[in-house]
Amino acid sequence: MIMPRGSDQLLLPANPVFIALSLLAALAFNLLPLGRHPAMPDLLALTIAFWAVHQPRRVGIGLSFTFGLLMDVHQGALLGQHALAYTLLAFFALGLSRRLTWFALPQQALQVLPLFLATHTVSLIVRLAAGALFPGWSLFVAPVIEALLWPVITVLLLAPQRRAPDPDENRPL
Amino acid sequence: MPLGTLDRTPPPFFRQGHSALTKLVFCSALALFLMVADTRLPVVSTLRVALATALAPIQRGLLVPVEVISGGSDYLRGLTQALQSENAARSQLAQQAERVALAERLATENGRLRALLELAPSLAVRSQAAEVQYEAADRYSRKLFINRGSTQGLAVGAPVINEAGVLGQVTRLYPLSAEVTLLTDKDAAIPVINARSQQRGAAYGGLAKGSAMELRFVAANADVRVGDLLQTSGVDGVYPAGLAVAKVMQVERQAEGGFARVTLSPAAMADGVRHVLVLEPLSVQLPPRPAPEPDAVVKPSAKGRKAAGAAP
Repeated sequence: MIMPRGSDQLLLPANPVFIALSLLAALAFNLLPLGRHPAMPDLLALTIAFWAVHQPRRVGIGLSFTFGLLMDVHQGALLGQHALAYTLLAFFALGLSRRLTWFALPQQALQVLPLFLATHTVSLIVRLAAGALFPGWSLFVAPVIEALLWPVITVLLLAPQRRAPDPDENRPL
Repeated sequence: MPLGTLDRTPPPFFRQGHSALTKLVFCSALALFLMVADTRLPVVSTLRVALATALAPIQRGLLVPVEVISGGSDYLRGLTQALQSENAARSQLAQQAERVALAERLATENGRLRALLELAPSLAVRSQAAEVQYEAADRYSRKLFINRGSTQGLAVGAPVINEAGVLGQVTRLYPLSAEVTLLTDKDAAIPVINARSQQRGAAYGGLAKGSAMELRFVAANADVRVGDLLQTSGVDGVYPAGLAVAKVMQVERQAEGGFARVTLSPAAMADGVRHVLVLEPLSVQLPPRPAPEPDAVVKPSAKGRKAAGAAP
């Protein structure tokens, strides 16, 4: 295994149950009835991109498509709008997966920003083509927030893999 | 190095499944197909209903924390507020009692007058109370989701109102919930009548990023003033007549094309609505439309000829 230069530690294997739980938690956050804000970050997209980068063999395009369909139904949006956006997001995140982990977290955030920007732009283009009105420039705050959350979510979701491989009494976790 | 540090299953060497590009092309094509077929094919709407039914229990469950947080703050604010709101409700009830008496008197009077003029009795509207589950987070439309669906006997096209006026119309029906498109949505339209000048018109949504409406096709010299109340006119066979729709917020007579540009603010604002009333569409009670004349003549004769030919 090639160790990325930036990381000081070999990671434990990811637990598939934890991956599934984190994706479901992100979906649940997106389903929370918090009202309608144009700049609301899409945590599900963030989590999908994260796992597509870090576990490209487990989370891929098919899963993203399914989650996208669920979001479409929940929002009452055009069926396929989120599905297309998440599919493209997962594809480009898979492409980034071999390169991205060599960088430090702030640089990673800078590299995933265009990814999220493209995701929102795809949604925008699809809806404009379907005859919707432009909802305002605050729409483009959401990808910036998502990119800023990238270091946070990396620390959170990689924490279980950074535990000690040999826990004992002095080091239970 | 202890065991379990590394993934013990190495990546498969030959069987890697389809390439990412193949999957991308397939999923994108499927997504594009779904977009095109969304409103046209019944199969796709069945898929939507199935997914919505699967999501419904999760959505109900997720309402709980939000309600606990908003309800908890109410709980902490205590007794004084409860007493205040009770007083306000009592005074409102007293005012309404007066109005109810007036309305009853007018209804009997109206009944007698209608009998005198030998008009058809006006339609009674059946209604059903519902609770708003959440407002759709979709940035491009204005929609609410309510907790009644086809199981409770709702119909597509049913008007949805609250105490202030018309909110919108049921546009999609799921077994346990329904999607209500608000009047401020881009695709919403409603026939209105000006309560002061009795002029009819059509109000459309989609102004100011989904927070205002527009009265279209109004002549530049038409009698419209700021502050006029617009009500439903009842000519569409959907909304009952006389419900408050909007107030005129701004009138620009210098607009292009000989039309005035009339901006409306809706009477019932959708922000923070909890309880709504779903009415039955009037078209259910109206008598069926008479069939167009030429068809009515041609079809029975054709059938008759076929039947006559087949009988012997």
